[in-house]
Order: sequence, then structure tokens, then C-alpha cells
Amino acid sequence: MTDLTTRWLGLELASPLVIGACPLTDDLPVLQACVEVGAGAVVMRSLFEEQIVAEQMAAHKFIDSRISTDAEARSFFPESERFSIGSNTYLRRLDTLKKHLTVPVIASLNGITPGGWTGYATELEQAGADAIELNLYDLANDTNEDAAALEARQLAVVASVVEAVTIPVSVKLSPFYSALPAFVAGLDKVGARGVVMFNRFYQPDMDLETLTLTRDVVLSSCQELPVRLHALGLLFGRTKLDMAASGGVHQGDDAAKAILSGAHAVQLVSAVLMEGPAAVARIHKQLTQRLQDMGYDTLAQARGALSMTNAPNAHAWERLNYARLLQGWQPK
Amino acid sequence: MAFKTLEGNEAVASVAYRCSETIAIYPITPSSAMGEYSDDWASLKRPNLWGVTPQVVEMQSEAGAAGALHGAVQGGALATTFTASQGLLLMLPNMFKIAGELTPLCMHVAARSVATHALSIFGDHSDVMAARTTGFALLASGSVQEAHDMAAIGHAVTLASRVPVLHFFDGFRTSHEMAKVAYLDDDTLRALMPADAIADHRARRMTPDAPVIRGTSQNPDAFFQAREAANPFYDRFPEHLETVMTRFAESTGRHYKLFDYVGHPQAERIIVLMGSGAECAHETVEWLLEQGHKVGVLKVRLFRPFSLQHFFAALPDTVRHIAVLDRTKEPGAAGEPLLLEISGALMTAWSQGQLTQMPRLIGGRYGLSSREFTPAMVCAIFAELAKEQPKMRFTVGIKDDVTHLSLTDDEALSIEPADTRRALFFGLGADGTVSSNKASIKILGEGTELFAQGHFVYDSKKSGATTVSHLRFGPRWIRSSYRISQADFLAVHAPQFIERFDVFEQAAPGATVLLNVPWSPAEAWDQLPYEAQRLLLDRQVRLFVIDATRVADEAGLDKRINTVMQACFFALADILPKAEAIAHIKRSIEETWGRRGPEIVRRNLEAVDASLAHLHEVPLPGKVTSQRRRPPLISGDAPEFVQKVTRLLMEGQGEKLPVSAFPVDGTWPTGTAQYEKRGIAQEVPIWESDLCVQCNFCSMICPHSAILTRVFDPDDLTAAPDLFETVDEAGTEGIEDLQYRVQVAAEDCTGCGLCVEVCPAKDKQQPKRKAINMQPRLAHRDAEEINLAYFRSRPEVDRTRIPRNVRGLPLLIPLFEFSGACAGCGETPYIRLLTQLVGDRLMIANATGCSSIYGGNLPTTPYTTDQQGRGPTWNNSLFEDAAELGLGFRLALDSLQQRAAYLLQSVAPQLPETLVQQLQAPCETLDDGQVAARRAAIVNLKEQLEDIKHPMAGELARLADELCPKSVWVIGGDGWAYDIGYGGLDHVLASGRNIKLLVLDTEVYSNTGGQQSKATPIGAIAKFAAAGKETRKKDLGLLAMSYGHVYVAQIGMQSHAAQAAKAFQEAESYDGPALIIAHSPCIAHGYDLVHSADQQRRAVDSWAWPLYRFDPRRTPQGLPPLQLDSKRQKVPMRRYMEEEARFRMLELRDPERYELLVAAATEAAADRRELYQQLAGIHLEAQNPDGEHPHD
Repeated sequence: MTDLTTRWLGLELASPLVIGACPLTDDLPVLQACVEVGAGAVVMRSLFEEQIVAEQMAAHKFIDSRISTDAEARSFFPESERFSIGSNTYLRRLDTLKKHLTVPVIASLNGITPGGWTGYATELEQAGADAIELNLYDLANDTNEDAAALEARQLAVVASVVEAVTIPVSVKLSPFYSALPAFVAGLDKVGARGVVMFNRFYQPDMDLETLTLTRDVVLSSCQELPVRLHALGLLFGRTKLDMAASGGVHQGDDAAKAILSGAHAVQLVSAVLMEGPAAVARIHKQLTQRLQDMGYDTLAQARGALSMTNAPNAHAWERLNYARLLQGWQPK
Repeated sequence: MAFKTLEGNEAVASVAYRCSETIAIYPITPSSAMGEYSDDWASLKRPNLWGVTPQVVEMQSEAGAAGALHGAVQGGALATTFTASQGLLLMLPNMFKIAGELTPLCMHVAARSVATHALSIFGDHSDVMAARTTGFALLASGSVQEAHDMAAIGHAVTLASRVPVLHFFDGFRTSHEMAKVAYLDDDTLRALMPADAIADHRARRMTPDAPVIRGTSQNPDAFFQAREAANPFYDRFPEHLETVMTRFAESTGRHYKLFDYVGHPQAERIIVLMGSGAECAHETVEWLLEQGHKVGVLKVRLFRPFSLQHFFAALPDTVRHIAVLDRTKEPGAAGEPLLLEISGALMTAWSQGQLTQMPRLIGGRYGLSSREFTPAMVCAIFAELAKEQPKMRFTVGIKDDVTHLSLTDDEALSIEPADTRRALFFGLGADGTVSSNKASIKILGEGTELFAQGHFVYDSKKSGATTVSHLRFGPRWIRSSYRISQADFLAVHAPQFIERFDVFEQAAPGATVLLNVPWSPAEAWDQLPYEAQRLLLDRQVRLFVIDATRVADEAGLDKRINTVMQACFFALADILPKAEAIAHIKRSIEETWGRRGPEIVRRNLEAVDASLAHLHEVPLPGKVTSQRRRPPLISGDAPEFVQKVTRLLMEGQGEKLPVSAFPVDGTWPTGTAQYEKRGIAQEVPIWESDLCVQCNFCSMICPHSAILTRVFDPDDLTAAPDLFETVDEAGTEGIEDLQYRVQVAAEDCTGCGLCVEVCPAKDKQQPKRKAINMQPRLAHRDAEEINLAYFRSRPEVDRTRIPRNVRGLPLLIPLFEFSGACAGCGETPYIRLLTQLVGDRLMIANATGCSSIYGGNLPTTPYTTDQQGRGPTWNNSLFEDAAELGLGFRLALDSLQQRAAYLLQSVAPQLPETLVQQLQAPCETLDDGQVAARRAAIVNLKEQLEDIKHPMAGELARLADELCPKSVWVIGGDGWAYDIGYGGLDHVLASGRNIKLLVLDTEVYSNTGGQQSKATPIGAIAKFAAAGKETRKKDLGLLAMSYGHVYVAQIGMQSHAAQAAKAFQEAESYDGPALIIAHSPCIAHGYDLVHSADQQRRAVDSWAWPLYRFDPRRTPQGLPPLQLDSKRQKVPMRRYMEEEARFRMLELRDPERYELLVAAATEAAADRRELYQQLAGIHLEAQNPDGEHPHD
């Protein structure tokens, strides 16, 4: 049987299948079941500084501003000292997962202020996170900030977090970088240990009846996988960062493809949300079987075998393929 | 000795908590905070003096609390409670028992007026004096320090003496004053508590190990002697107290006596009084002594048992003239209680020969309902005492032009020491002014050697409320128990105050004045109205301005300007070096908000740093430059009473009104809120007629009737103002010939935004533009004022033409408008809807609570009349008896109706037969056509009666209006319905009478600040449920349904208006008792109420709030009486709970418990659904009218 052991961010994982950041990470029994059937690590759902700040300010507006405003009601809630709004809940959850899971627990962080990024990262490290996944997300809507400036700002954030903690830091990226390899090189330079490709943004949809935007969660499908494979295949051999695929892995073969493209780890979210731990068991089994059938003894042997560096028809990763595909698609 | 800066309530509670094992309470203003502090400390497991966390239990009423206390002390526990006013009155029966059984207990009362012609939350001794016959010792304190100390003395002496103690201090003046006090530490308190007496108390406890019987019934042969047997305990009480006070002095250096005399050793004139007024008298006497007067004040600490020995020991022999002041009124008495007590004491001493010359004794009333008591009044009393023929009975602080009892005082007199700094702040409730002033007092009280005092005055509005903070700082003890009249620092935190009030009147000459205004320093002066400029020049102030709103906004603090203004205060007031002061403020912000989260701290610190750069001095020009006068608060066309009385109350000048200005029996005109144009919204909804679909959701949900929808006969609109736009009525079938308009009352709107939120009509090209949109108020004020006046002046369309469905109902004119309820209030729309349905035939019995405050708190009230002058008539009796009051209304109506019917029958032979038939035909209150016809018939009857010679004709004419049926509704909150008033509510439902009860269920005691009630749901954090309530909400509806004959509905009109409208109409048409339980979104739920429709929908869809109607009329039809308007659960309970801070707080505090309680709430909803679904399927056999089953 193929040995699925892998190294991700310097952590020894028994399996490349990592439960990605999602609400499931609040559910300890499910996570334990996932680990039982083959998950190699767990990424907690993101600690969103923006959300914490918004909640703090909402509490300030809707609770604190009603203290000492009325002759009869001194306030409308019990004294507030026990209800601090911050990372406590997250840190407690991290502590619980660390205590009850036998695999590495990676904390995920989305900050908005320089102090927020580093402050929370330090807290996560102190609470026992094995690594931190930075969830970089900037909505580029400032007409005065160009791509270079935005990327430089993001690299500065990564640098500051790397400096603030001693545990490894990976970065989860958006698929929309115009010069991905260069940006990944930049991440390497500032000390990141890994890169996760890619974040899936929950884009709003529209309700045409009510003329409003809607925010439904749409789970991934394997149609989303190729763009990940492409990025992995392109970067394999060009970066010393560990790489993980995230988005679109639903079958064992999807995971196998990600590994053959160059991934050290493969994150699962939608499949587990839909099927529960059974998805992990299934994908783990399928992946093992496939790699075994392909004759790989270890995961390392398979990793990057079909990357741009190693594939026999590597030009397929290149632009030429795009033109051919389009031609082949023309109606007959 | 450690100093702390505490509020009076906290100072007392901190002692009572540590000296007790059991605390049974019930919230009532102004004592609620003592219970809240205790509950909070208990939830933190803070121990008492003996290492145990006291049990704090909230009861269903004060009567319940007293019963629990009685049991606790009988069981050998050390117990306490906190209460006031009617709460104390509810405790009286148990107080007699506790005292009769000689059981140690010390309770603390923030003394408050007892409701008479009106409710008042403010302070006087009428409650305490009503308890003077209970057998409790009455111990008074007059300042925060004294209240702190006397609390300890009270707990010690009750144990030593076995006589229970009622310790009281003045509501608000002391209970809410913040002051620097020497704090009693645990060791001092412990040393004071008599261990042997505690052991004796324990030994007397009831236990089956040594059984006794108490609470026997006694006959004439035994009762009297047994009652007298307790005399020695009362006789010895003064000595016990003296001993405790001496021991207290030994450990603290503060030596109290039963009667403390301050003044000239050979004083000839003295004043005797108790409570906070004694501090003012003390300060004034010291000032008068400096002027060479031989005067004094005798402060009474122990009123009962009254010790003649100690009284005469304290009274200088030289006294010839005594004025005794009572802060209470006993109509018809020879004198008020303290006066009579002193009078009796003097007479006894004279009779015994101890007194050779009887001093002249006069008595006066002062300070009722927290009326100011000032040095000028003290001087006036001394002056009266010096007269040859003083008034034997007098009042001070008012102008009595009816019975001419009042003394005149020199309002301009100020005796405050020059080294006391006095600062006055006018703030808005929500801007944080009071919070930051409390922080400033702490900074100065605990960070410096200075003494500090803060007193805070709030108006009665729940939205756009005004606060006035009175702060004093100085090197000496502050005894000034009255408001600041001459401030050397005066800050106006909201520009609108300059337009509304004489805010600068209280600026001392040379004062520093700080304004938060959006004007630059260059333009500021010219923006001020004439009156303001004149005053500022007269007083030669130093004027500073800052645009604090902008500074706060830029720091991300919205409109919360408090830290900005606090920084400016310290920068200008020159009490501390600027840098030191700023450092203190920052530390205080970190301490206060650090527990909430770092971002709040960061933004507030940023605001502080930015503030001084925006602070500018405005040099005073040599002359008044403004021609603009302050606009009148009310328009000239208001009725005379409103002009003469209400206007002054609104302007904050009510204290100047003489006695003759007031109704003698508490009867006031309705419909006055329309004259109080508060203009508190920055933005108001403006109608876009081209987009409007005439759904009327906006007016249906508006909490303040500030957005109105109406239809008009086109012929009535011929003289419409230019901007008065109407469109063809298109939303409601059958009235298409009419014109439709949405009208905003811009100056009455609170800007909550609910109307815009629920507006479904959108511009197709720019969907964010709706049929109503929030626009700057000032840009639309003038036009909309004209439009509103025209809108209101148009005749009402025949009401019978308006369909009674959810689209039609909002077109009926509401008779409840512009209340002072919170922005976004979820209660008021229900009341408005009720008045739209039957407002002109409506009698309301209102339980005390939010709905009685926004419904009936002066200066203006929202219930109003229709164009014929009819409208709701309203009364509030108590918190607990609204249902009974309403039943009384019904009984009276039925009696008068019966009498009128009898008279009609008697006179009938002389009346046209058709008229009599018309008057005897059925008439439903809900049927506008029948009601209109009946009223027309009554007019006809009255005309006929004028020409009829019949001995009963006159009486029939006077009672004829009772031939038209009236509707009786009882309104109250869940505290009333589920807790304190449940017994009455239940009884009234059981009575079968035609009476309707509307429960505005906010699931907490909203008016007193969010204490849990039995309506509080599982998992919610509330006061007295700080760890999250773990029991289910009481199913009030199910209990009512169990009678079978009660119409019951549970509704939520913010999200399901049609069901709510149906329920109101079914309840009204039901000839019997009806109960409507209305989901009422409230600020105590902790979310932005602009989303209340969505959140209520979640409550309904999760089955946290199922909608149903139970109609007994369906049973005879073979239908199940219960109809579920909520079918299945559509959203998880968690989804509902996570949106409100009351649940979210628990998740933050204790996620595991939160999960447990979410699961419990889910299970409770599932159980309820299962039960209701089964009930909704039950077909009950119809009963015959006799209630017996035939041929069983």
C-alpha cells in the first residue's frame, strides 16, 4: 500500500488530506471521526478580525451606549466585564481541538489591521496552534492602489506575522494574482513556509424577484479543480514553499491529481460538508488505491510527477493548449 | 483608609451584600441597582463576610420578596432586601410579621414617592412613612457616605437588638449620587457584626430538631398582652444603636448619634429633619453661623423607635423656635409624621416637667418627588422662625397660590464655597455624557485628594433623552445635596439644546462654556440665537467650541462623543495638569472598555488624541449680533393649558409653575405629544410617490406614528400646499376614488429607519432607492411641517369605507402618536393599531412599565383624539393591578349601561318606537357602521329628551352616551402579566367578563433595565439571569387557553401584520375575555432594531415565538378552537438566537453552556410544537349554554 505520509509546513502528516477551514472545525466529534478515517491535519475556520471589530463596535453601539441614559434603567444587560468580545472563543476552541485531536491543528487568521494580524497570530501561537494559515483577502476597490502596492502591502503583513511567531506560517491565496509565481517568491522571501491555492470567495448572487443581492454558500465542485492544478503544476520546482490544493477535491482522483501537480497536502471542505467524515474515508481509500495502482510506494514519489517540470507533455500547461481547446469546442 | 467613588446604591449594596446570606429582591426604581449589584457579585461568586456567596433570588413581586425574606429569617439566615415606594407597600404585611416575631433583618430603601394623583419615580419619604407602624426601626441617612455607614450600622444593630431595621436614604438624590466615600473594608464590617447575636439568631431558627410553632392565631385573651410583651426590645433599641454607633466610630472615626446636632451651642432657632435635606441644612447653618446667626439643625438618624432621651440630649436648651420638616405629605393630618413625633416628644417632656418652657413648633413639607431643597429654602425657614407670627404649617420649594402655605426664598442666593468647582453638562442620553462624567468623578475622586460628587438628571423620554450632569469637585467634604445653579464650567454636548432651553442661564459670571457644534470658531458666534448671545455676554464667559461629533465619527465612534468632550473638559477645567488628565482618561478608557475589546479602546484613544486639536476658543465680540430669537417650543395655536402649563414643563421650567396651575386630581388633557416637536432625528423618511405601491407597511411598523398613510376625498384637497403631493388610491379595493398620501412628521420622527427597511418598493434602475428614503431632516423640515398640518386638518374619510385588512387598517387615523418610546420600539405599533381600530371608544387600564411611561409621563402624552374629540381614556393604577383596574372599568361601564338601559326603558313610552329600537339593537364595538348609527341615535335621543317631561329624562340624557358600547383594554408588559400581575390577570380572564388584555412581551423588565421575568426565554442573559436563563419561558397563552372561554392569540406584527390585525379584531369582537400576547422587539434584546422585522420572522420561523389564535367561538361549530398560524419550524433555533446579544453574550461567556441551552431551547420549541399541533387537531364537544352535558 502506498505510504501517504507527507510533510506540510514542516509538520509530519500521516495523510495529505487536511480538513480545510470551515464551520466543521467547530464540531469536535466530526473532526475526530475525520481524523479516525484519514485526515492528516485540521485547519480551523478563520479568525476574522473584521468580524471581531464589528461585533465590538456593535456592542459599543447597542449595549454600551444605553448605559446611564435613563432614570430607571441603569443599563439593559448585566455588568459587562464577563463578556469580552475578542479571540477568546476561538482560542478556547483551539485549545479544545489541541487537547482532543491527534493530528496537527492549524489556526487560520484574517486580519485587517497591522496590529490585528500580529496580535492575534501571537495569541494563536500561545494557545498551541501548530501552524498559522493566513487568509489574505483584499477587495481591490481603491482606484489609487495598484496591484504592486497591494501585493507589497500583503507581503508586509505576512512578513510581520512571520516575525511575530515561531510556528510555521502558510498563506492562502486568492486565484486572482496576475503574476502568481512572483508573488509566491515574495512570500518565500518574507519567510512563509507554505502556500494554499486557492481561497474560494463566496460571491453574492442575485435575487431577481426582489432586486437584491443574496449571500448563499455554494459548495465547490470538481470543475474548480483545474485552476488549482494549473497553479500547482506551474509552481512545482520553482518554489521551495510547501503547497496545498484547496477547492474542488471531491474524489480520490482529484486528490491524486493535486499531488501529481505538486501538492504536499490537499484540503477538503465541500466534500466533508456534504458527506461528513465518510468523504474523508472514501477519498483516502480512493487515493491510496489509485497511487498504489499507479505503482507509487510513497507520496513523495508521486508529487509533481505531472507538473510543468516533469510532465511529458508539459506544454499542455501552457497557453497553447487554451487555443486548441477553444477550437475543439466549436459547434460542428 | 481606602476611598472609593461609588453611587449611593452601590455603597449600600456593597455593605448589605457582605452582611447577608439571602437576598430576595424585586426591581423597582430607584432601588433596582442594589439588587443588580448583588446579583452581579453573586454570579462572580464574591463571598460575604463569612466566606459564602449570598443567594440572590428575584421574586415575582415585592410581596413575594418579603415572604421569602420572612421565611429566610425564620430559618435562621441573615437576610436583606432592597426596595422603594409601592414595592415597600407590598412588603408591609410581612414587615409586621417579621417585626412581630422580633426577627433581625436590615432592609434598605431608596425612598421614593408613593403614587397618588400620579406616579413619580423620584424621592421623598412617603413610602417609608407608610411603613412606620410596622414595628421596624427606621434609620435615615443623608449622603452616600452616611448610607454606606448606616447600612453597616443597621445590619449590626438589628442583630444586637432583634428589632428589624429599615434603613432609608433619598431616592435619586442619594441612591444615584456618585460620591467619594471612605470604604468599609471586610475586617471593619466583620468586627462590627456581633457574633454572639448571630449565634442567638441561629439558635432561634425554626428546625424540626427543636420544634416550635410561630404564626399562631390568637384570641382577645392573648393578643394584646403578647403584643406588649415585646416592649422592652423597643425600649432598649436606642441603647443598642448608640453602642453600635460608638463601636463604629472607634473603628472608622465617623461618629454618628441618634440625633446629630450642628449649629450654635446656644441656638434659638433650629430645623429638625432627616435624609439628604439635612446635609443642605448643615451646609447652610455653617454659613449662617459665619454670619453670626444663632441657628442650628438637628439631624434625625433614628426616627423609630423615637428616643425622647436622646432627642433632648441633642437639643440645645436655648432653643425657642423649632421648624420640623417632613419630606412627605399626609393629607388631613394635624401634621406630618416627624412633626407629630417631635410634638409628642415635647409635650411628653413638658408633661413630665422636664421642659419648663415649650418652644414654638412649626412644621413644613419640602422636597416631595425630589423637588429641590436649597440653602435659600433653609434660610427662608429660619427667617420664618424669626417672625412674630410664623406660618404654623408651611411648604418650601413651590409657590402655593391656592392655600398660601409656601415660603418665599431668594432664588439667587448661593452659598457654595469658592474652592468647590462646579461643572454642568447637558447631554443626550445616547452620547455617553453621563458615563464619561461618572468616569471623570472616579478619576478625580480616586486619583486625587479632591472630594467629588456627581448628580445626574434624566428626562422621561426613552428616545432622544436629555441628561444633565451636575459635578462638584473640591478640597472639602461636599454637603450640597442640590443641583448646581451657578456653574463655573458648562458644557453643551448637543447643539439642539441651545435652541430649546436656556442652557446658559446656569453659567456663573466668568464661567468656561464649551459647545459641541458643527460650526467653525469663526462662524460659531453668529449661529447663536439672540438670547444665548445676550446671556454669554452678560456673564462674560470664555467660550469654546468643538465639532465633537465629527471627531468621534472620524475615530469610528459614530455619534458617541463622550470621550472627546471629556478630554476637552479636563483641558479647560484646569483641575489637573492637562497631560496628567489625559493620561487618566486613557487609563479609564482602557479599564472600562478593555474588557469589551481592543478596538473600542483604540478608537476612543484616537478620539481623545484628536480632540484637543479641534478645540477652539471663540473670542466674545463686544455686542449681540444675532437678530434671531430662540424659536418657541410650541406653536401659538396650541390650547391655552398647553401654552400655560405644558410649555413650561417642556422647557424645564415646570418648577416655577404655581399650585393653581395644576389639576387637583391628576386629570390631564390628552393629545399633547403633538405639541412637543423634538426634532431628534438627523434623517427622516421622505416619500417618493412614483415608486410607492401603497402597501402601508411603513406606517404599520412605525413606532411613533411619525409616518402616516391616509386617503382623502379629492374635494377636500382643493387648497393643498404646493408640495402636498397625493396619488390615486390604488392599493385597496373599493376606495379607488380617493387620493392617497404618505406623510412624515419630521419633527416627531426618531430616525429609526424601520419604515425604509420594510418598504418593498424599489426603483428598477437604482434598487437602493425605495418609495421612502432617509433624507436630512433639516432639508425637509419646513415643507413637511406645512404638509403635516394640512394632512392632519383634512376631514377623515367615512371609516366604514376603509377595509379592515392589513392594507386598509393603516389608513385609519391613529389616536396614539409621537410617544417618547425608544427609537425602533416594538411595543408601540400594537397600541397604535388598537387605537386605529377602536380608539374613539377605548378605555385603557395600563400597568406600570414602559407603556405607562411613554404612554403617560409628563410633560406630554401620546394618546389623542379624533376630529370629533373622542379618543382613548387612560389610567395607570399600579404595576400589579392593571387587569383588576380594567375589570373595574368594565363593571362601571356595565353598571352605567344597565342604568341607562333601564332609564331608556322607563322613558320609552314617550319616545319614538323606532328610536328606542335603534338604541336597543345590538351594537358591536368593532363595527364602525353600528357605532356611528348608535351615536346618531343617541344625539337624536338627547334632542328628544329636551322636550320630554319625565322624571328620568334628565338622568337619561346624562347617561345616554353609555348606550354606545365601549371597549376596555388592559395593557402591560411581561413583568406585569407573567409575574407581579399574573394573579389578577388570571382572575380577570377567569371572570368571563368582556375585557381584553394586551401583553407587550419584551421577555424582560424593560423599563427598569432588563431584569429577567418568567417570560424570559431559555438561554437569554438578563439581569438576575447573568449565566443565561435555564428554565423555559412560561406559556402564558396555554394557561389562558386552559379555561376554554378565553380568546387567546400570540402575534408578531412587525413580521406578520395580517395575523396580528386579525387577532385584534377577533379579540375585540369576542364577547368575553381575550388575551393577546404580542412579541415586542426591545433594545434589551441587544441588536439593531432596524432589523426587528427580520429578527421577529426568525423568532416565528424557529418556533421561539409561534403564532396562533385560540377562539372559543369555533368550538360550537365543531372546529378546534386553536388555529396555528405557524406551521412547521422553518429555521433552526440557533439561527434566531445568534442574532441577539442576550444570547450571544452567553456564547461568549460560556460556549458549552450556550450549546446546552440552545439544545434546550430547541427541545422546548419542539415540545411546544408537538403539543400545539395536537391541540389544534382537537375537536371539543360543544357545550350547552348551562354548561351541563345533557342526558349524561
